[in-house]
Amino acid sequence: MWNTVQTDIFDESESYQMGSVMQKLDEIVRDFQSVGDEFRLELLLDYAEKLPPLPDRFQGRRTPVLNRVPECQTPVYLYVEVENQRVRIYADVGRESPTVRGLVSILISAYNGATPEAVMEVPPDLIHRLGLTNKIGIVRIRGLSGIISKLKMAVANA
Amino acid sequence: MRKYVHPEVLVSTGWVADHLNDPNVRIVESDEDILLYETGHISGSVKIDWQANLQDPVVRDYINSDRFAELMSRKGISNDTTVVFYGDKNNWWACYAFWAFRMFGHKRCLLMNGGRLKWLAENRPTVRETPDYPATSYRVDEFNEKKIRAFRDEVLHHIMENKPLIDVRSPAEYAGELLHMEDYPQEGALRGGHIPGARNVPWSRAAKEDGTFKSADDLAKIYEKEAGLNPGADVIAYCRIGERSAHTWFVLTYLLGYENVRNYDGSWTEWGNLVRSPIER
Repeated sequence: MWNTVQTDIFDESESYQMGSVMQKLDEIVRDFQSVGDEFRLELLLDYAEKLPPLPDRFQGRRTPVLNRVPECQTPVYLYVEVENQRVRIYADVGRESPTVRGLVSILISAYNGATPEAVMEVPPDLIHRLGLTNKIGIVRIRGLSGIISKLKMAVANA
Repeated sequence: MRKYVHPEVLVSTGWVADHLNDPNVRIVESDEDILLYETGHISGSVKIDWQANLQDPVVRDYINSDRFAELMSRKGISNDTTVVFYGDKNNWWACYAFWAFRMFGHKRCLLMNGGRLKWLAENRPTVRETPDYPATSYRVDEFNEKKIRAFRDEVLHHIMENKPLIDVRSPAEYAGELLHMEDYPQEGALRGGHIPGARNVPWSRAAKEDGTFKSADDLAKIYEKEAGLNPGADVIAYCRIGERSAHTWFVLTYLLGYENVRNYDGSWTEWGNLVRSPIER
């Protein structure tokens, strides 16, 4: 349904953008859904390892209140820039927390370059859609979900 | 100067490094993060996940003895294998696995003092290969649940008898200002506060910066001078789901030598949801 945004409501470039973001996320979800439980965690680990390092210009800006995701067990620092209606997401997550790194990396892969509106549409049940609920366990899931809300807040405030 | 009462359950990183190929030793990594082991672990170590391996997938309980025996067989652990636990976050989850192994009667359980943090800080090597050990035949002959696990009705009796309880959560959770650990996920308790009479000693106070345990003197100061416990006491420890309190159970049982310590794994996520359970703020 996301790929059929009506062009009489959105201008050409915006509808293309919404479509491509959802396609990217759908692709990631399909990849996760198409493999068995064990490989799903390996896939998440691949994403964890692909998380780009935090650019130097953010290094000194570890303002806990602004950038730290409070619901998450691991210090997660999110930095968001919005320019020309395009969102850029940067993050700093310790190597001792690969699960969290993996999720943040998926969000960056799917939503870097998206419009702020598209980020607001990140499905809150993304982890469930990725088929990770049973594997990761409900106790851990709640913390991860906090990252999605924080990303939306950061974009709303950017 | 006091000494640990059971120092033999603690081994150093150096001891573990010297026993990597010891066929009588199995090293077990147990972490909060389900993927941490995969990013690199001590050579030859196997992963035991507190949630995926030790808990029943349907009922809120641990796996049963048969499934524990199967798990042991799969991980190449025999009844007489010496199991050395280590993990992230001051060995928090390693202590939880240690406690569960003791519940299923595994006799030779050791803990690597300082855990993963210390191993890495010393630049000791890690590998990514997952070892494959021949299956063993394992039998659970002793089930220690009564001795080291407490259920809600027992906690209620404990309160009525004015016996000591230790709440190992953060001060804000204890005070009922927060329903979950600071920086941790909300786990769905409807009421905040603590079990009446419980003293608050956050679990991490037992550990030093480098992840190793504090000295017996320092531990005695915290648990005895401040919290009023004594080695003969019948103590129940609890937290939110029973994991942080497994760490305190380990400290009281092995380092200070208390003989009657139980972990209430129902903890606040059960107590804070029970209709009419007494709560103090």
